[in-house]
Amino acid sequence: MNLLKSYIFPRLVQWVIVILIGTTVTFIIPRFSPVNPVDVVMASLASYQTTDPQAMLKLKESLEDMMGLNENIFVQYFKFWGRLLKGDLGPSLARFPIPVIRVIGNAMPWTISLLLIATILGWLLGMVLGTFAAYYSHKSWSKILQVVIMALYPVPYYVMALILLMIFAYIFPIFPLFGGVGIGLKPSLSLNFILSVIKHGFLPAVSIILVSIGWRFMSQRALTSTLLSSDFIVYARIAGVRNRKILFYLFRNSLLPQATDLALSLGGIFSGALITEVVFSYPGLGQILYSAILQGDYNLVIGISVFSIIGVATGALIIDLLYPFLDPRIRYS
Amino acid sequence: MRKIFVVLSLLLLLSLAAFSQLPPGIPRNETLILDQIFRYSIPHNFNVWTPVGITPTRQAFVFDTLWYIDQHTGEWINSLAAEPPKYNDDFTQMIVKLREGIYWSDGVEFTADDLIFTVEYLKAHEGLVWNADFNAYVDKVEKLDKYTVKFTLKEPYPRFHNLFTARYNACYIMPKHVWEKVEDPGSFDFFPPVSLGAYVYKDSDPSGYWELFERREDWQRTSVGVITGKPGPKYILTIFYGPSEKKVMAMLSNELDVLMDLDLEAFKALIRRGKYVRSWYKDFPWAYPDEIDMRNLSFNLEKYPFNIKDVRWALALALNIIELEENYVGGISRVNPIPHPATTYHMKYFHIPLKPWLEQLEIEVTPGEKFKPFDSNIPFELAKWARKQGYKVPDDPDKVIEMFGIGWWKYAPDVATKLLEKHGFKKENGKWLLPDGTPWKFSIIVAPDEEDAFRQTMWAVDQWKKFGIDVSMITLERNPFYAKNQTGDFECTTAWGVGGSPSASLDKWPYINGYHSRFYKPTGETQTLQNIIRLKDPEVDRIIDEMGAISPDDPKSYELTKDWIKLWTENMWTIVLTSFKKMITYNEYYWTNYPTAENPYGQPLYWFMGSRFVIPHFEKTGRK
Repeated sequence: MNLLKSYIFPRLVQWVIVILIGTTVTFIIPRFSPVNPVDVVMASLASYQTTDPQAMLKLKESLEDMMGLNENIFVQYFKFWGRLLKGDLGPSLARFPIPVIRVIGNAMPWTISLLLIATILGWLLGMVLGTFAAYYSHKSWSKILQVVIMALYPVPYYVMALILLMIFAYIFPIFPLFGGVGIGLKPSLSLNFILSVIKHGFLPAVSIILVSIGWRFMSQRALTSTLLSSDFIVYARIAGVRNRKILFYLFRNSLLPQATDLALSLGGIFSGALITEVVFSYPGLGQILYSAILQGDYNLVIGISVFSIIGVATGALIIDLLYPFLDPRIRYS
Repeated sequence: MRKIFVVLSLLLLLSLAAFSQLPPGIPRNETLILDQIFRYSIPHNFNVWTPVGITPTRQAFVFDTLWYIDQHTGEWINSLAAEPPKYNDDFTQMIVKLREGIYWSDGVEFTADDLIFTVEYLKAHEGLVWNADFNAYVDKVEKLDKYTVKFTLKEPYPRFHNLFTARYNACYIMPKHVWEKVEDPGSFDFFPPVSLGAYVYKDSDPSGYWELFERREDWQRTSVGVITGKPGPKYILTIFYGPSEKKVMAMLSNELDVLMDLDLEAFKALIRRGKYVRSWYKDFPWAYPDEIDMRNLSFNLEKYPFNIKDVRWALALALNIIELEENYVGGISRVNPIPHPATTYHMKYFHIPLKPWLEQLEIEVTPGEKFKPFDSNIPFELAKWARKQGYKVPDDPDKVIEMFGIGWWKYAPDVATKLLEKHGFKKENGKWLLPDGTPWKFSIIVAPDEEDAFRQTMWAVDQWKKFGIDVSMITLERNPFYAKNQTGDFECTTAWGVGGSPSASLDKWPYINGYHSRFYKPTGETQTLQNIIRLKDPEVDRIIDEMGAISPDDPKSYELTKDWIKLWTENMWTIVLTSFKKMITYNEYYWTNYPTAENPYGQPLYWFMGSRFVIPHFEKTGRK
């Protein structure tokens, strides 16, 4: 009961406040953008066709009315919350009148499936390899592994992704050059569809893992190296505890900072992976968010940001709530 | 667990071995694969009558309108109309005779009812494109018979037919039998579309990366079928591959047949490895030179010192165009000194006839001292340079001009210096100071994805810095770039279309009308029309008014267009640089008979509407 009152409840309140403030800030900031969504539509229209200047001005007025951009910002703000609480994020302004929720709904599954798997795998691999490399630092394979990972770490992501594509999609054309699934395949639970999704997501996932593994490997190796000189490890070694058991101790004791990092990374996946999507022509939220910012599509920017804010805040909340289980010191304090 | 893993891995490997880009039942040698020029943001929306619904490429396959002008040949094409529009003497009535025997893809015949419905429906629904145009001009539209429609206009308008004449876009005709049931056109996605083109929608990626179209069984009952008499590829697949490196890989793997544009270096790498790859020209200068637009450096004429004509001339004369061609763009763009596209078609009517005027043009450097700035020798200098590079260049002077343009402004920094000094500018330690003694600094805005504009900006920055001006480049994504142009938040911009880029017709009025002072917006206010440079000039108004009052076919209209070009050039309102080329790239492995310099039967720019009459001419090579 005391834990609920002094630890869990304040964090729940904090979670609500973060979401409220974050969403409000996200509502305000795009409106300072010099890009007006109606002007973007008009510029695009003007580049496609020659229309009477007077007719263009009339059309612009009509669009501003339809999109509700002529209304006072406070009216827009209260209407926004009214809609949001009903689960309606309004229409996309650049794709008017397609609802924001539909745009996000199309892209979200791709982003979540790719980034969730890649983030967790990258985290696990970094943790495991980092722990092993530190524990067996005197072994030659450990030294080679360290050199390889250190060599991969500074390679710019775009270059890494392009190299993977050149090797595995052009020189050895075993993976596709673009897309999330094969042309013509419809979402289903068929083996054909699932294998196609895996095949299309394989290179993007590998590229993310290869790039993200470096930092986690190094940090875990450093953490483990510090732990190796701790009394409990020294004692365990002297006592002849098996390596497997000692590795488990090391892994568990270094988990706390790494779990925080994982939770925040998982929360952040809702913003998408822009460069991955661009290089692999992979569907997802990153490119949609990017173009929404450039097009001044406030509603879509806010929609994606709301998911991202809730994701990060919830990730932080979950890890806060898990701390007492991971770290007995918190339980006892 | 281990067994499951092994089985899954084997299945994955098997699926990899059987990897194919196309779905089963779509043979590669029956499918034309086009480079989709961007990822579609609304893949399943074919409502092209909303301001956000217009999407290039696909519209040529499923939509249709009354007339087209081929932007390469200038040929007038009667599409859904059986003949050109007929006006009465005072241009208050237009009669359209429609083709007979044209059908929608669902088997319903296209008739006058569809055209009348389209106009009345758009007129009745605010917020749709063309709504304001039809309300402004159309008094009534009526059916004379099943294939004849009469428009009665509210005021004389000799260019009313432009609303139904496509280059990129025009008012497409709606199927009455579908749209008459639609109550809220703004939210209707017209999906799947009932087609009036030679293709029907077959499939697409919900994420917007590809779209597949299938030729109609009854393609002969479309305007394309009637006009070309050719069936064209059975399937057309458009794919957005993303970065140009991937497009190159796709084309080398024969997974892409036609590519929109590439930078010169990527193109050279592609033709080195691709046995079947070529562009408009088989050899130098490769690129298609005739996209109807211009590359410019334009100034905000309300900002000091760009409001001074002599300053603009000084900036032009401090640029060495030969260096641009040789060192920045590889000599593959035509130089262009006047505000009119230097295409093969337009050069015949404007650039060549105006060359003697340009040669005689004088500017006053200092009181009493005149200078002739035009240099007609530039194309021949470029030809000399190109020959040195090992490129084949014809000896015929006319052919040299066709390849490199009619000429440009002399590189005359000494004259530029005098022009600036005339207005109190001073040069100290090699740097120009404004008359108030502060260093002269300004910036050029550019969207870096426009390869030519980006390279030309780098050149201009280098040239003007060499001359002593502190110039910088600001790179912006498209939308912030458009926003800055619209609000006049720039000193110098690389925006295209400034000065009026018409279709392949002699009528420039629709493209310059927005420069009339009645549409002027001061810097800071959004200018959604053509006049981003904030030009306000009574002579401009006079030309626009006179042109607007007469038929585009009136010979006086042509003379007025030349007056416009002369007025603009004398005032150097923008520094026009080059033509608007595209490195359109063909892969002839599966398809051939693309339009090329040797066989220029139509425009090669497949993302424009006119491609509907060109693609049917593509022929299978027979390769599997």
